[in-house]
Amino acid sequence: MYVDRARQLSILGFLLLLSLALSLYAPNFFQLQNLEDILVNTSYLSVAAIGMMLVILTGQIDLSVGSILAICSTVAALASKAGMPIWAVFALALGLGASLGLFNGLLVTGLRVHSLIVTLGTMSLYRGALIYFTQGDWIYDLPSDFRAVGLGRFLGVPIPIWIALLTAVLMSWLLTRTPWGRGLYAVGSNPMAARLTGLQPSRILLAAFTVNGLLVGLSSMLYATRFSAIQSNTGIGFELLVVAATVVGGANIFGGSGTVLGVVLGALLMSTIGTTLTFFRVSSFWEPTLRGFFILLAVAFDTLRGYRRGVWRRGGAR
Amino acid sequence: MSELLRLKGIRKTFGGVRALRGVDFDLVQGEIHALVGENGAGKSTLIKIISGAYRPDEGTIFLQGNPVNLESPRVAQDLGIVAVHQEPTLYPDLSVLENLFVGRFLRRGYWLDWPAMHREAERALTQLGATLPLRAPLQQLSRAQIQLVQIARALLVEARILILDEATAALSLEEVDRLYRILQDLRSRGVGIIYITHRLEEVFRIADRVTVLRDGEVVGRARVNEVNQEWLVRHMVGREVGAMYPRNPRPPGKPLLRVQNLTRQGVFEGISFEVREGEIVALAGLVGSGRSEVARAIFGLDPYDTGEVWIQGRRIPPRPWEALRAGLMLLPEDRTRQGGILGLPVRWNLTFSILDQLKKGWALDKQAEESFVAEAIQNLSVRPPNPDLPLLALSGGNQQKVVLGRCLLVKPRVLILDEPTQGVDVGAKAEIHRTIDALVGEGLGVLLISSDLPEVLGMADRILVMHRGRLVAELPRGSSAETVMKAATGLLEVPYVR
Amino acid sequence: MKLWRASVSEAVLLGVLVLTFLVMSQLSPHFLTPQNLLELPRFFAEVGLIALAMTLVILTGGIDLSVGSIVGLSAVVLGALHQGGIPLPLAALAALLVGLGAGLVNGFLVTRVGIPPLITTLATMAVFRGIALGISQGRAFRDYPDYFFFLGQGYVGPFPVQLFLFGALALAFAILLSQTAFGRKVYAIGHNEVAMRFMGHDVDRVKLAVYALSGTLSGLAALVLVSRFSTAKADLGQGFELDAITAVVLGGTSISGGVGGIWGTVLGLLVVGAVRNGMTLAFINADVQQMIIGGVLVASVALYGLMDKLAPMARRGREVGREAS
Repeated sequence: MYVDRARQLSILGFLLLLSLALSLYAPNFFQLQNLEDILVNTSYLSVAAIGMMLVILTGQIDLSVGSILAICSTVAALASKAGMPIWAVFALALGLGASLGLFNGLLVTGLRVHSLIVTLGTMSLYRGALIYFTQGDWIYDLPSDFRAVGLGRFLGVPIPIWIALLTAVLMSWLLTRTPWGRGLYAVGSNPMAARLTGLQPSRILLAAFTVNGLLVGLSSMLYATRFSAIQSNTGIGFELLVVAATVVGGANIFGGSGTVLGVVLGALLMSTIGTTLTFFRVSSFWEPTLRGFFILLAVAFDTLRGYRRGVWRRGGAR
Repeated sequence: MSELLRLKGIRKTFGGVRALRGVDFDLVQGEIHALVGENGAGKSTLIKIISGAYRPDEGTIFLQGNPVNLESPRVAQDLGIVAVHQEPTLYPDLSVLENLFVGRFLRRGYWLDWPAMHREAERALTQLGATLPLRAPLQQLSRAQIQLVQIARALLVEARILILDEATAALSLEEVDRLYRILQDLRSRGVGIIYITHRLEEVFRIADRVTVLRDGEVVGRARVNEVNQEWLVRHMVGREVGAMYPRNPRPPGKPLLRVQNLTRQGVFEGISFEVREGEIVALAGLVGSGRSEVARAIFGLDPYDTGEVWIQGRRIPPRPWEALRAGLMLLPEDRTRQGGILGLPVRWNLTFSILDQLKKGWALDKQAEESFVAEAIQNLSVRPPNPDLPLLALSGGNQQKVVLGRCLLVKPRVLILDEPTQGVDVGAKAEIHRTIDALVGEGLGVLLISSDLPEVLGMADRILVMHRGRLVAELPRGSSAETVMKAATGLLEVPYVR
Repeated sequence: MKLWRASVSEAVLLGVLVLTFLVMSQLSPHFLTPQNLLELPRFFAEVGLIALAMTLVILTGGIDLSVGSIVGLSAVVLGALHQGGIPLPLAALAALLVGLGAGLVNGFLVTRVGIPPLITTLATMAVFRGIALGISQGRAFRDYPDYFFFLGQGYVGPFPVQLFLFGALALAFAILLSQTAFGRKVYAIGHNEVAMRFMGHDVDRVKLAVYALSGTLSGLAALVLVSRFSTAKADLGQGFELDAITAVVLGGTSISGGVGGIWGTVLGLLVVGAVRNGMTLAFINADVQQMIIGGVLVASVALYGLMDKLAPMARRGREVGREAS
């Protein structure tokens, strides 16, 4: 397997520098509560970012993840309030996310339309449908077993962190040890070759979108269960954050390369920045700016380094 | 030695062009069979049919005596036929190891068995006597290494027939030697190898038999030790040299294009030459020698590190619109993808390069456009003469005329023509040559990039030969094909100094 | 020279428009009244201006997701400068220049740095909005001189001012696309960028211009919007990109570039505008409206996708060029 260690090390390096600066100027940043917050935020973000990476590996994108997050959070909360046992709620959230992702995938593979437009449409479609059914109401009085997922601990470590860890290991396994996983990379690296050698790109893509939806559903369970209410504007701007984590984490926007570890580190970086901003009481208005900026930085860096789309990029053929 | 492959009566037509007209071919176990012919002779088409990328219109293919239907490259590969191309169907972002096994991963249960694949890969590489960085992404490898990957893949699928297309084009001398050793080793194991090359001395170095294609037919087949280079050239070139190349040489005028010390690291170095009024200067050389790259740099499409380009006495920076304004035009090699836009009408395609001059105030002068278009269609005999048809609807030869028409409408003083008759049928070829001769008769200068040896010999006043990014020879009109070939393969004794 | 999909789609589009009007009139009795219909241009003018420029961007094979954010940024610049004592005409000019600048940033990132337009404008969508929020800190800027409101709330005869503004620009863009060299280059680049370079054209300059236009028109839309609402806030323009892209795609412009035109966009705009208006009159929630528009986008993409499958010839010509890059 080819792994881009350079990128992973750069992120770690950046984090190290940031920690250094913080330890000098604001040593009380390193309280346990703060660090735990960062790790928990990283948890749900990295799960969603791994999902996004699957889609980006194949050269596509999914802008509807924020809306999927909102739908899964809301439905899960309502189901839990209605008395559904927590394991069933989990299954519901994952299944719903997978279905929404599948719908995206069907539109992309069936109509041969780029996922940009499709998911731009479904982003609005899904959210609008949600608001239609909830009338924009917030959901309060969440059951204790629901909230236990987000706030509970196992062996002293918050549950979301465990789940995220397991997911990362499982997904890493899937990506490096199964034909489907390598197929994702192949389709993004040389779609023409993939078709010619019988790899069935359509099926691979469909699965990518579906698993992405499923992972967003899982992420919603790690996210929504930490709050006392599910707001109607859950997930707005989520797609930007997820794309940032994925791209900063080294996934090539043209497809064909990316690692789970890199994406997790990217999520860690974005969460750290977010928490740092909050800690210093910087207006949250600047957050989207920073996220967008990081995306540009990461992709510009990759592009200028020569990570272009194109099968054989070196020198002319003649 | 038993027969591996036999082709009988293969015919293939594209659009109106007959690429193969009844070709018979055979390959036995344990032989290296060279396939030679000028560009457009049909070699590519033939091996694409053998490797399953194309299906023949007529004819049969026999594999070890049994007729087979090679429906796709996958099917051909499963039957043991593997082709090594210049542009392989491999994955640049995946590791070398993965590329060796993609599509046929080794598994343990459901999971991929990387250690097993690693072992197999090592074994194949030892057989080849080569080492490769298995973990590195394919795009980090050199061309020679990528070739090794393709050959290793062939070994791993236990290929019985290996096809190599211009395999040594961009290799160093040591890499070429290594490749020859590998091929000879494969031959001793009974693999049948079809070897396409433009370098005639290779034929004598490693091949057992040679087949010569010309205009889609087999015009010669022999055991290599029974013939010589002259025989090869004679069969490749044929006897029509005269009519095909209507050339009236004239005394040249002042320099129109001057290139001085043009260098782009890793691609070409120290290129200096001149093209004068009324002359056709050919730029010959093998695939990979850097000719098209030089042309693109002169025209300003690609940057260069050092050097100067002067057009009609003016130094121009590397920007295409500057070159155009100074009077230089480039007719690109890949006419369908680079020379015109297939989905747009002929009218648009003809006027693209003069678009900014066709203005009346801020708007396009559509009447002026009409007259330009009508004139061009008539002068070049574009058929059908309907300017509103999309370029897609015309035949290859007529598409080429439209592209040429666009280039000429700019009224250039210097033209760079990159393989202007590649893939064009004989009739249109002669017409294009006539046009080129007429153009230089009016005082234009032409830089003709061509791999078509007879075309070079027939049309050029001077022949510049490139080899591995350098200009190695300047030969006068009347030079022999052998001399040009020798220079192109870097074997000319007399060094070129400018 | 029409470069639309078969003129069948023009007829279909008109049919869709008629159908939309019928459906909307069922949703609310006020829809088909002359007062409402006359006011329609007022509501879709801002998105309309953006959609005009978006047509060009999409024709070159790109996209601009940041238009809504540029609207917000320009609005905030207008408001902040004006409140800071700058005379309104100058502040308005500054707002337009900010739009132009933002568009140039997009264009620069796409052409010189080489970041794909999707990612570029997704990121700048956030950056520009963030800057707007940062400048305004959530405040709203009011108190404009009366003459300013003519743009957004005034009339010329029975018609709102926006109608003429939009009409004039639509005409200008249509002429730009069909009668000028620039217009032809836009279409050609969408078909085959590589060939355009070989033919001697400065492709980067055309693309830069197209994104700059998109940004400038977003700035203009901001002026109209602020004039209509009498307030400038950082969250203005949210969701405009969806409506604009829907109008363009519905109108027959292919998302991969090279095919389409202004009149299709205008028809698409009429449909989108009618749908928005009808839903507002029926008191349908803004988020639900979003859903419907999203549905319209998905449906139009689906339909055109199907049509392309049935007429592969036209698409092949484009795809051959695409592979060349």
